[in-house]
Amino acid sequence: MKKKMNITQGVLLGVAACALLVFPFVAQNSYEVHIINQAGIYILISIGLNLAMGYAGQFNLAVGPLWGVGAYTAAILNTKFGFPFWVNLPAAIILTGLIGAFVGLPSLKVRSHYLAIVTIGLGVAINIALLNGGSLTQGAMGIPHIQMPDFFGYPINSDQRYYYLILVMVILGFFIARQILAGRIGRSFRAIRDDYMAAKAMGVNTAYYQVLAFVVSAAYAGAAGALFAHLNTYISPDIFDFPATLFVLTLTMVGGMGSLVGSLVGGVALPILQEYLRVIQNWQLVAYGVAIMVVVIFMPGGVIELTRRLSGWRKNRLALVDRDASG
Amino acid sequence: MPVTSIFIQTLIGGIGIGSLYALVALGYSLVYRSMGLVNFANGDIYMAGTYFGIIWYNGMVRGLHLPYPVAFVIGVLLNAVLGIIIERIFRPLQKLDMMFMLLGTIGLGYVLDNVFTIIFGATGFAVNSPLPDTPIILFGIRVLPQMLLLISVSALLMVGLQVFLAKTKTGKAMRASAMDHDVAGAMGISVNRMNAIAFAIGSGLGAAAGILAAPIVYVSPTMGAAVGLKGFAAAILGGLGSIPGAIVGGLVFGVLEAVSAGFISSNWTQAIAFVVLLVVLMIRPSGIVGEITVEKV
Repeated sequence: MKKKMNITQGVLLGVAACALLVFPFVAQNSYEVHIINQAGIYILISIGLNLAMGYAGQFNLAVGPLWGVGAYTAAILNTKFGFPFWVNLPAAIILTGLIGAFVGLPSLKVRSHYLAIVTIGLGVAINIALLNGGSLTQGAMGIPHIQMPDFFGYPINSDQRYYYLILVMVILGFFIARQILAGRIGRSFRAIRDDYMAAKAMGVNTAYYQVLAFVVSAAYAGAAGALFAHLNTYISPDIFDFPATLFVLTLTMVGGMGSLVGSLVGGVALPILQEYLRVIQNWQLVAYGVAIMVVVIFMPGGVIELTRRLSGWRKNRLALVDRDASG
Repeated sequence: MPVTSIFIQTLIGGIGIGSLYALVALGYSLVYRSMGLVNFANGDIYMAGTYFGIIWYNGMVRGLHLPYPVAFVIGVLLNAVLGIIIERIFRPLQKLDMMFMLLGTIGLGYVLDNVFTIIFGATGFAVNSPLPDTPIILFGIRVLPQMLLLISVSALLMVGLQVFLAKTKTGKAMRASAMDHDVAGAMGISVNRMNAIAFAIGSGLGAAAGILAAPIVYVSPTMGAAVGLKGFAAAILGGLGSIPGAIVGGLVFGVLEAVSAGFISSNWTQAIAFVVLLVVLMIRPSGIVGEITVEKV
């Protein structure tokens, strides 16, 4: 089913596009741009997690450490071998994807909370490997002096410039995800999520698609990792631990699990919310925790579901008014 | 020192820390079998219980230094009340998908963590053992008295729990309610009350574990994260929802950690423990003691 875009939607899209393009120029300072850059990185991980969890129903609670694998791949290739960002990005995607396949193998045998703890455990193991990687990963000290990228001789050396790189990557990531979901892979994902036995009976190669879901989510985390390493120029293992997974999981669920737009909404809203909550200092994380509980208990579909419900309610009201008028 | 006594000493250390994991694992399993909820805030509840008890013993409330056993009982009771309150909050979660339980309970964990940080400060503190600090030496094996206290009281609590569930009227009602909510409800058992009791017992056991281990480990608002994760892994290892499974899983996990720390490398302890968990789940997806059901395959 193809929907034609009406004029209002077109105008809104145009306004949004302009706002996105001029944002670095109207931002108060480079710190604000930096927050949005980080948000973009979280959006990429979140899209991957959404594909695996929201669409294929596969718990990948190792995305935080997998993000770290991507970051470390890029950092090591850059600082030890001098490769530029444009080589490190695909390398990070491929290596993280491969490790993602390994993390996904248990999904063939266990499910639900069992799969959750197994992927959490593998994530812990990956993080410990980063911490104890000897001279390669430089332990708890982390890797400093990662170079910022260069675009055909034009240095991407500020948060403002990096913003456009991340913007392009997020848009690319979003549309690749949509393409994946529109095709055979997306149909198989949803079939496995909704009814595993039925999907199997219909001839879906469930094992292949289950592992593929992990590979895809890991690849997104890998891309986000390479972007992160080259943006911050310094990484250490404690950034990529279980709380990182939780943060991405939270923003995905607040936006809406099973909705790519949800990843965009949550990915922008949560980092900004966190910044604003700094005003109340110590109570910031308490408020954050309460917000998560309220979302989960009162609107489990996330913000996206809420807007859907609201617009549905409005349509129903209008229908009611119409009937009243005609009756 | 001969290798065998080093090994036995490591083993006792493992059983000690394993008892701690087992008590926390019981918290997960009791709540899971009662209301089907995987409570990821259990580690933070354990942390809360530790504070609820230790503050009375440590002079943190108006300089009071109550005797250790009294502080222990107060901590367990206060945490049981906390458990009952949390059950009320989480009641809507039990019908939702695993993802929502995960996130909702983690949200609560955030709240507990940070409220305790605000009240008691982010830096932790060490607690003096009520027993002598010098290790007892038996046949060349050195054991801390507090470790023996931890192991023996934990064993008593586990036996007590089994007797309670098997013999008392409330225990039987809890088992019936865990087996089938509808039928139990039809028999006049209040399912919600049984869930609340399960939550109270689970939280109480967490507090007991924390207060017993406090003189051995370090007390801080973040102490629950690692123990919570390992307690959950232990519960899964034994078979989530199974009472003997939680005990076996906890002990196996503790011993595994101690042995790998003592004989391989302490840097990789956690990784080794989780990889063993993975291997066990690959062979027996429902854990060591758990029943095999179709749903989990």
